Amino acid sequence: MQDYLVSIILTAGIYAIFALGLNLQWGYAGLLNFGHVAFMAIGAYTTVLLSMNEVPLILAVPAGMVLAGACGAFLGVATLRLREDYLAIVTIGFSEIVRFILLNWSSLTRGSFGLYGYPRPLEEMIPHEDYNLLLAGVVIVVLLLVYALLEILAKSPWGRVLKSVRDDEAVSVSLGKNAFSYKVQSLALGSAIAALAGSMLAFYLQYINPNNFQPIETFYAWIMVILGGSGSNRGTIAGAVLLWGFFSTTRFLEGYVSLSPSASGALRMVIIGLVLIALMMFRPQGLFGRKEELAVGK
Amino acid sequence: MNTMIGQLVANGVVYGCIIALAAIGLSLAYRIMNFANFAHGDFLTLGAYFTLFFAATSNLGFPLACVLAVLATAACAALLDIAIWKRMRSSGANRTAIMILSIGVSIAIRNALIIFFRPDALRFPVPVMESINLGGILLTYFQIAVVLIAFTCMLVVHSILSRTILGKSMRALADNPNLARITGINVDQVVRYTWMVSMGLAALAGIMLGLVTHLNPNMGWSIILPMFAAAILGGIGNAYGAMAGGMIIGLAQEISTAFLPAEYKIAVSFAIMIAVLFFRPRGLMGGT
Repeated sequence: MQDYLVSIILTAGIYAIFALGLNLQWGYAGLLNFGHVAFMAIGAYTTVLLSMNEVPLILAVPAGMVLAGACGAFLGVATLRLREDYLAIVTIGFSEIVRFILLNWSSLTRGSFGLYGYPRPLEEMIPHEDYNLLLAGVVIVVLLLVYALLEILAKSPWGRVLKSVRDDEAVSVSLGKNAFSYKVQSLALGSAIAALAGSMLAFYLQYINPNNFQPIETFYAWIMVILGGSGSNRGTIAGAVLLWGFFSTTRFLEGYVSLSPSASGALRMVIIGLVLIALMMFRPQGLFGRKEELAVGK
Repeated sequence: MNTMIGQLVANGVVYGCIIALAAIGLSLAYRIMNFANFAHGDFLTLGAYFTLFFAATSNLGFPLACVLAVLATAACAALLDIAIWKRMRSSGANRTAIMILSIGVSIAIRNALIIFFRPDALRFPVPVMESINLGGILLTYFQIAVVLIAFTCMLVVHSILSRTILGKSMRALADNPNLARITGINVDQVVRYTWMVSMGLAALAGIMLGLVTHLNPNMGWSIILPMFAAAILGGIGNAYGAMAGGMIIGLAQEISTAFLPAEYKIAVSFAIMIAVLFFRPRGLMGGT
């Protein structure tokens, strides 16, 4: 039971970090990133590959964040001068391309065999069977740090400009703000946060494989952000807890319904899809969000 | 070497026809509804599985099952318009909200198909045909049929857009919705017919994809990248651009396999899409 609880804390915590990165992009800046999982994959693989080549983790984790941030900035530069849908289309394509490259560049990534046996932080300090407890602590600390950073940013001049760009770009441009540059920055920072979540995921799973990074992971983050309330960091964390709560309670219920494992997994996803539809139709501000904070209200 | 390139060109035309049909629907819907529909790929899948269902549960024969499937998919599109899209339009929701919603539709359809048909790959109940040899280039009758049907559809779309009242109303609506409304165009009806045409074409593209490869619940979602790349390359919103874009993407992906490992052909779409956005964001033929 304790193991189970720890694993829920780990997954919910890691996905909360992941979703906080998206909230910075979508909730704060109104950017449609439909390929968030790509940046998680870049973080996970960069960290793991560097650390397998003797680079200390204290450098390998930030390296993944920098690479993911640079990719995010590149996609932003390519699309953000155009209509907002182009970013959505390009990022969704990018997440597929990243997965294909990870699958097919076997000499580097071992393809679908995946990577394992890589170093994890503070590993030698604690017996193997207690490691997840320690990692859960690390994840919670990282989550709180990211949360604090985003809250400070939200109240800083930078965050206020970002929100003003989201609400009315023309006004902020007329005040001399470079809206394009603010959007690229939020895309880069949000992508770097996704990469950090990716490194944590790699430490937790002990084995990474390109199929950990399917496009659906991106939309888990979307559900978390929208369910909790776009623009609210606390709401996003609540959304992560709610979604993983849903996953783990439905897993318990699986024993009582006569469905094959693939069918019950798919049923769960049908529910997720319907929840997303219902939220957008009836409560786009989510459970804890404020309607005036919403980039879709315009 | 020449026959190898010829074969790749032939494969590219077949694949390009499928992408083009899918992209025309995507672009039409984009033009009229003003948003990128991320569930478009799943309507390809829906069309293919409807065909499978009709072919397996009745003795209508495969061609009639295809026709029924296209009609059934168009009916689903109309229902979805009534249940969701119309409400979103009249509540004044903007296109970002509708795009996020379309992701929900996509997830729901794809997984509903997994529940009903299992996740495994399936084939249509049609005989396996030997390829015929056209000067060293091997093609199956299905591939030839795909090309003929796709070109017929493109002609039909062209006639609808240029010759019919519906086509004129669609163009009027795309250019200026308010003006279209005050001139007496029934906007809701035109939008609904556009959805039905768009999704009917998607269903046909899905059937073709199933004929030349196989069916699985992910088949439509997995070509969302070449589909959007084709629409953007042609100029998103421009149906003729989507035809050209689909053909170019299909050819580029197949011919690239002569130089690159085949696994990377989807990256060719992505590279073309990024290059278009950097250098010619309105596409080759000018979009909305």
